[in-house]
Amino acid sequence: MRIKILNFLLIFIFCLLLLRIFSFQVAQSSRLRELSDQNSIRLIEQEGGRGVIYDRNSQVIAGNSLSHDLMILPQDKQQVARALPVVARVSGISLEELKSRFKKGYTASFAPVVLLKNISLKKAIAFGELKTEYSCLVIQPHPLRSYPAGKLACHVIGYLGEIDHWRLTKLKDYGYKTRDIVGFGGIEEKLDYYLRQKEGALSLEVDHKGKFIRLLGFKPPQDGKDIQLTLDIRIQKLAEEALGERKGAVVLMDPYSGEVLVMASSPGFEPEAFLGPSVKATQSFSNSALVNRAISSSYAPGSVFKLVTAAGGVETKKINLSTTYFCPGKLRVGNRDFACWDTHNQENLAAAIAHSCDVFFYKTGLLIGPQALHDYAVKFGLGKPTGIDLPYEVNGFVPDPLWKKISRLQGWYDGDTANFSIGQGDLLTTPLQISRLVAVFANQGTLVTPYLIKSVGGVNFEDPRRRQSRVPVKKEIIGYLRKDMIGTIKDPSGTANILAVLPVEIAGKTGTAQAGPNRTHGWFAGFFPYAEPRYVICVFLEGSGSGHMASILAKQIIQGMIDQKIL
Amino acid sequence: MKTKYLILIIALIICLISILSIYSTNYQKDAEPWKSIYKRQILWVLIGLVFFFLAANFNYRQLWDAVYILYAVVLLLLLLVFILGIIRLGAQRWLKFAWFNFQPSEVAKIVMAIFLAKYYSKKSLYDFSSPVKNFGLWKAFILPFIFVAIPVGLIIEQPDLGSGLLVVFLFLIILFLAEVKVRYLVMLVIVALVAMPVFWHFLRDYQKERLMVFINPNIDPLGAGYTVIQAKIAIGSGGIFGKGWLSGTQSQLHFLPEAHTDFIFSSFAEEWGLLGCIILLGLYYLLIRQGIAIAAKTGDAFGRFLAMGITLMLGIQVCINIAMNLGLAPIVGVPLPLMSYGGSSLFVTFIALGILVNISKERGVF
Repeated sequence: MRIKILNFLLIFIFCLLLLRIFSFQVAQSSRLRELSDQNSIRLIEQEGGRGVIYDRNSQVIAGNSLSHDLMILPQDKQQVARALPVVARVSGISLEELKSRFKKGYTASFAPVVLLKNISLKKAIAFGELKTEYSCLVIQPHPLRSYPAGKLACHVIGYLGEIDHWRLTKLKDYGYKTRDIVGFGGIEEKLDYYLRQKEGALSLEVDHKGKFIRLLGFKPPQDGKDIQLTLDIRIQKLAEEALGERKGAVVLMDPYSGEVLVMASSPGFEPEAFLGPSVKATQSFSNSALVNRAISSSYAPGSVFKLVTAAGGVETKKINLSTTYFCPGKLRVGNRDFACWDTHNQENLAAAIAHSCDVFFYKTGLLIGPQALHDYAVKFGLGKPTGIDLPYEVNGFVPDPLWKKISRLQGWYDGDTANFSIGQGDLLTTPLQISRLVAVFANQGTLVTPYLIKSVGGVNFEDPRRRQSRVPVKKEIIGYLRKDMIGTIKDPSGTANILAVLPVEIAGKTGTAQAGPNRTHGWFAGFFPYAEPRYVICVFLEGSGSGHMASILAKQIIQGMIDQKIL
Repeated sequence: MKTKYLILIIALIICLISILSIYSTNYQKDAEPWKSIYKRQILWVLIGLVFFFLAANFNYRQLWDAVYILYAVVLLLLLLVFILGIIRLGAQRWLKFAWFNFQPSEVAKIVMAIFLAKYYSKKSLYDFSSPVKNFGLWKAFILPFIFVAIPVGLIIEQPDLGSGLLVVFLFLIILFLAEVKVRYLVMLVIVALVAMPVFWHFLRDYQKERLMVFINPNIDPLGAGYTVIQAKIAIGSGGIFGKGWLSGTQSQLHFLPEAHTDFIFSSFAEEWGLLGCIILLGLYYLLIRQGIAIAAKTGDAFGRFLAMGITLMLGIQVCINIAMNLGLAPIVGVPLPLMSYGGSSLFVTFIALGILVNISKERGVF
């Protein structure tokens, strides 16, 4: 019967429909559910403020200031068309540019489009007055990194920028996204995870025209955690002013705890410049301004290293406290003359440290031998990172005969030992390593781990990696050399005699290291007050400095501290 | 009789589902008239029930005599729409009766069912033989085709492609049921295929667009394809258990156009899920089943053709509408009987069901 055929046809069609419904509601359900949510749910991100970085006296180094964006609500198309030329007139940006920004930024009719970013307060007020006539204009305040102290401590703080591909691949699992603003260098990078704000969001339900229906949820943005550093920006400022435009670095730290009060590197940069839209085009960084010379670059320490040679010599009993050598102004090692910077005649250990006699230490070094010298250098913390809580710290380098054989395919000569014993040749150290070395004498034998982070989010930051270890050298020897270090300043012919005029008793050692033809690094490393040391200072001048000039800088800084009654 | 009550109960359950869905789709609309349209639908259902009982108690045999008058009235109404539609901008399918907008193409469907049922049967109650066997090509096929083509042409010109095609479908099925020679049917199909390009030429631009979009909805995701895509999202996002009554975002937030009329199935599927869909399709199937059962049991040819015509008219509408919602058919503006909002369709459906009940009743006389 034809009725039956029709009946079967009907059942067949119904089954077909059910199959299709099944495919939609079961097989493709989750995907279509997502599309449905995308239709009706909109997220508006809310920005929080990045954590503030304070110095030890709660002075702001990197804070947040209120910045303003001009946004426009696209809901009323006619009003937008009227408002854009007015915005163009007030802002001075061409109408075409604004129109293209509007087109690019448009997502939905309810979502405001950003027209101008980080406008000045004056402009913000001007636009605020326009709001009465053009209700579609929105002035959105949001926190922006500010640096009240300018470029002060810029290397310690670092700067902010849009995340790069390399960092993104590493940090993706920690919730970082493309176009996130992250720290580059310094504390901003090291503690980015704590400093960074947690984005909040409004989730809205909208209809097909993008009209707001109701609020589904609100997650308030969370500000990043505030960081307190051990820096003292008053002294930091003194140090940076003393350095001026010269290339170099200054480190000031507590010899007992390892707290770093000053870490200055010159030349510096304006971290604010990185907040702008096109940094790379506007800024050029000559003289490796972005490098933190206190930790990220290493240099020959020169005569400062003689402290290590002396300690090694006495400890291994190659010399004793009354050993005296005659300095004729040069010493023949192998078939080459090794010059002393002066003619010192008879010198004992104390005088040799005060006058920085090279011949005395050539002889001492040759007696100890290169391997023992290497071992003592390592014992004093050279050749490996200090473990300070900043990124990009370099190791420095301590040579030894085996290394030379392997890497240069050359034997170790006595000449190498002579150079090594006065801190020249292949030896490389960072100013921070030298500060720590001097701190060992200040605190009578403890190798500290320098640190900068005092507290994170108001909680004291205890890092188990901040170990203090004893330098395996007899305490009497350290004590003796410590006393000899006063001679550098007190002795009228001491290399840092100019510091003697200061009302505080200072002990230290200068260094002038050859770093190529007509290129010398200047060093001064010392501690004060001598009796109860509170500060270790290391002044380093790169390329065109001498121990004497470094001492002058140290004097300026310490004088400044006295003037400001910090000391 | 049992069948009578079964048909009424199923129809009323579907109407109840319809009112719930209409209430839900307009749940979040701000304007007051929109919020209360479910009340109007309740009113239509009540009036529809009156029509149902009137039709159920009106001897269907009298339709045999009245058929040419009915046919003439339908033609008149369609012409009236055509004339008034031109005068009144926009509204081409409706006639305004005081407070009620009336859609003559809905009436045309059922009148054509009656017309064709009469054409292919004999008046005598005792002669079951189909008259078609004695008909030639002219009488069996071309003459009724002309009778069908006139109202269909007028309906398509309104433009209401869906209703027009529906009548053509009905014609084909009655031809099939009337045991017209298979070669005539094959011929018709060939003629239809040949006529297709010509027919295409006469379609409105938006109708062509809809057909193109049916083939690939991604051609125009914001224009004509939008509805197809949003309907798919609405149905699919319902999942097995649905989003729940009053919680369908697609329909309530207007992402789905025509959510309470042609696309009410999508709105329903979004909120009630797969389980709801199975129940709804089950109800429709039961309803159609009753119609087919009545047709099968009815002795006289006119009654049988009429019952079958009415049943299939409903069945085809259900299938086309749901297929359209599921993206299996082009969007042609066929309402889902008893579900879609609108008085005309509801009245005509209730009248059709009333006639069905009446046919089953008459059988008891013999």
